[in-house]
Amino acid sequence: MEARGWARTGALAGIVTIFLALVGLIGEFTDVYLIGDEITFAGLMLVLPAVVAGMVAAAPRIEAGVRRELRVGEAAVAAAVAAAAAGGVFAVAVLLTDLIGVERIRTVFIKISPQLMDFLTFGRSTVGGAVIIVLVSTAAGVAGGLLRVAPPSIRKPVGTALIVTAMFGFLQRVIPIMFDQLVLERDWLYSPIYDGLTWVGALVVATVSAGVSVLYARFGGQVRESLSGGPRREGSAISPLWLIFGGLAALALLAAPLLLGSVVSEVLGSVMVFALLGIGLNIVVGYAGLLDLGYVFFFALGAYSLALLTGATLNAYGIPPEPVISGSLNFYVAIPIVMLIAAVAGVLVGAPVLRLRGDYLALVTLGLGEMVTVLIASPWLVPLVGGPSGMRGITDAAIGGISFRDPQNFYYLALAFVAIAAFVSWRLAASRIGRAWTAMREDEQTADAMGISTTRFKLLAFAIGGAIGSLGGALFAVKIGSLTPASFQVLISIQVLGIVILGGMGSIPGVLVGALVLVGLPGLLREFEEYRLLAYGAAVVAVMILRPQGLIPNVRRSRELQDEERLQDEWVKTVKEGETPGEVGTVTGVAP
Amino acid sequence: MARAQLSLLERLPWRRIILVVLGVVVIAVVGIGAARTLALTPAEGGYSADAWEDFIVQGAAQGGIFAMIALGYTLVYGILRMINFAHGEVFMAGAFGSFFFADAFVKSGFLNSSPVLAVGILMLVSAAVSVGVAVLLERLAYRPLRNAPRLVPLITAIGASLFLANAFRGFFGPQPYGYPKPGVLAGNVTVLGVTLQRTQLLVLAVAVISMIVLQWFISTTRTGRSMRAVAQDREIASLMGINVDRVIVTTFAIGGLLAGIAGVLFALTFEQVQFNMGFKPGIAAFTAAVLGGIGSIGGAALGGFVIGLLQAIGPPLILTGYGIPSVFSLRDAFVFLVLVLVLVFKPGGLLGTGEAEKV
Repeated sequence: MEARGWARTGALAGIVTIFLALVGLIGEFTDVYLIGDEITFAGLMLVLPAVVAGMVAAAPRIEAGVRRELRVGEAAVAAAVAAAAAGGVFAVAVLLTDLIGVERIRTVFIKISPQLMDFLTFGRSTVGGAVIIVLVSTAAGVAGGLLRVAPPSIRKPVGTALIVTAMFGFLQRVIPIMFDQLVLERDWLYSPIYDGLTWVGALVVATVSAGVSVLYARFGGQVRESLSGGPRREGSAISPLWLIFGGLAALALLAAPLLLGSVVSEVLGSVMVFALLGIGLNIVVGYAGLLDLGYVFFFALGAYSLALLTGATLNAYGIPPEPVISGSLNFYVAIPIVMLIAAVAGVLVGAPVLRLRGDYLALVTLGLGEMVTVLIASPWLVPLVGGPSGMRGITDAAIGGISFRDPQNFYYLALAFVAIAAFVSWRLAASRIGRAWTAMREDEQTADAMGISTTRFKLLAFAIGGAIGSLGGALFAVKIGSLTPASFQVLISIQVLGIVILGGMGSIPGVLVGALVLVGLPGLLREFEEYRLLAYGAAVVAVMILRPQGLIPNVRRSRELQDEERLQDEWVKTVKEGETPGEVGTVTGVAP
Repeated sequence: MARAQLSLLERLPWRRIILVVLGVVVIAVVGIGAARTLALTPAEGGYSADAWEDFIVQGAAQGGIFAMIALGYTLVYGILRMINFAHGEVFMAGAFGSFFFADAFVKSGFLNSSPVLAVGILMLVSAAVSVGVAVLLERLAYRPLRNAPRLVPLITAIGASLFLANAFRGFFGPQPYGYPKPGVLAGNVTVLGVTLQRTQLLVLAVAVISMIVLQWFISTTRTGRSMRAVAQDREIASLMGINVDRVIVTTFAIGGLLAGIAGVLFALTFEQVQFNMGFKPGIAAFTAAVLGGIGSIGGAALGGFVIGLLQAIGPPLILTGYGIPSVFSLRDAFVFLVLVLVLVFKPGGLLGTGEAEKV
């Protein structure tokens, strides 16, 4: 009975909606307007699970090893059942909440408020509100389901338009600033009262993005072919298409602070620091395949050793402000020393633990990272690093009177270091060293047998990764000008790991995108700050299950991660060709 | 670049040399620190015999809690060869879930009028919440990845841990909640000449009883037998007619059950619950599981007590001798140090098989 499967999908989506309401992702965002004064972030959160349920219910089936698209009518019914179930489950939850009493539930789940209930019932009676919820969910789910089975010529433009419009809605703190800087009229695009897009603006954005999508579908293939001159070989020189794409991205990166003003530049500066950390960790995790959970160690090492080398002072009271070890070097002289220290530390940390298997290595490094965070906060090391109150007066890395504490200038400093690190890491990956890492990651014993000194290359990965990480720490110190242990929690390691995972292990553009998404977006939408780590966790789990190769995958790495599924796909294909449908186990987790 | 002979430098067993040197340094640091601490009189900053007794009792009680959490790590590891990094959050979930009942009980007076029943109910509630979270975790996050490359489930578990902790932060807010404690648990009691707090006695008793029950369950019941079979060889076990999926879920459930009970004990000891309370006990318990030899049930129990004792006695015994101020703030760092040293010197653990050594 298929309907039961659809309903189950829908019920799951309903539970997800309840979860979103309980953590506050609906209640806290009822006044964040995306379009006009009708579409709020909260509203989006309310219907999104139903839409996804509709899309899942309308997804192609795999029957006896053969993929079958659903017909339109079939898809509409499936999506309607699923979405109605989603809405129904959530409506029941709303009714129950009203029955028990909002105030009573609020003593436990603090995010359930009368305002939230008002929002959920659309200002009507609870029963009326519940009916509306079911109707809205069903409509949204059917729309999602139909979109799923629509032919690509419709699906792609509509999907693109929806996603781009939503992005424009989210970036309501960024794009208007850009318009102001360019002295453009913006009130037609973003409403001055509600901050979100106006309906006219949304329509324009949607039309333009749909148009671009249509044009790309028609001419994109030709352009790509004429530019790259035939199919590309793996590992060959970069194709012209990538060159154009990269050039545009570089231009955007260069122009960003000028267009976006200092508030956004501040956020972009953090993005760059994390991108640098991501590039470093990517060498250890993505290239060498060593899961390092203690990366904050290098971050802290970089920040504090830079502070000590350039003559920062202690914040603690009752002791001389001069740290026990103190230099008075210029920032640019100190940087190579900091990196050298970190590289040596990487080797020292790595040497005793390298023979451990992957997951043990992860925990040892986690332990080391946590030890560092406890140590810098301990009263014992106050004379060196200031203990809980930290250090201040860190150099602003000025050249000829240009201070890099200024967010816009800092961004360029960080960008320069990111560019260098990305280049080094890119060339490393293609070198003999990079190939040795790949071999080691894929099969350590075989690599060993082939004459690769795994110990040496693992240590090298730790040393280079550590050096780049310390660079991130040093820049961070310049950015904020003072250090406290609160900035060096073990969570940093996990955040950087999230960036690498989301972007795609082994992929440098992936790291940049990961940093933009995971550091940039929450930084721009202040209300979202509280939910940043929740999103990190959800993103890591979702990526690992649905798309282990990440958003912008490294070709080779993604093959390793998908081997299992590729085999299954192959098998499905052979069954299809041989026309001997047999019994098939559930094919799980087929990546889109 | 083929060389006929290795140079002398390359022939030396560097790894072993580094390990031996490191070992000697560690032993020297511990020995000198302990000797210097013990030479101090209480007036000079040393500790009296009573203080040491307190440390030991406190450490053992902590160790009981660690042992119960460690069993969850070790059971799951034994069967799936995976570190369930989110197990600390399973523990937190139970403690947090039971808090609201404890709060209601203390307001209605039930907690103090019939404390035994009340604490029993709290443990049941906590266990139910933890079991629920653990089973959901397995079903939603880990099961789709059962045949994935080894690091993938571990990374997923890290993500799940972050997700769970912050979901609870979203539900209940970032602030700590004061966990009520029944009046009978206040004060001290003397057993066999040793004075301990009543809570500590409860913790020790519950921990020991649960471990005995678990041992009985694993070694004699049918489910326990299938668990051992799956741990030995999943494929063969499934050929023998064992429902592997069900065994795995059961394992997660048992781990959750123990973590839930430990959650109440922890909350009663520290009289507080917070969304991030799972992380540090989780790491300590993991250390305990590794120390005992991960995959070994007896090892996890032993490791739990050893870690608890080390954490309570180690910092004052070793660090005080070097004149380091406020040694207790370094307790967590000490656990991590122990974890690192165990993995470096004896990755197979005390009762382990040594299998963890390589690949």
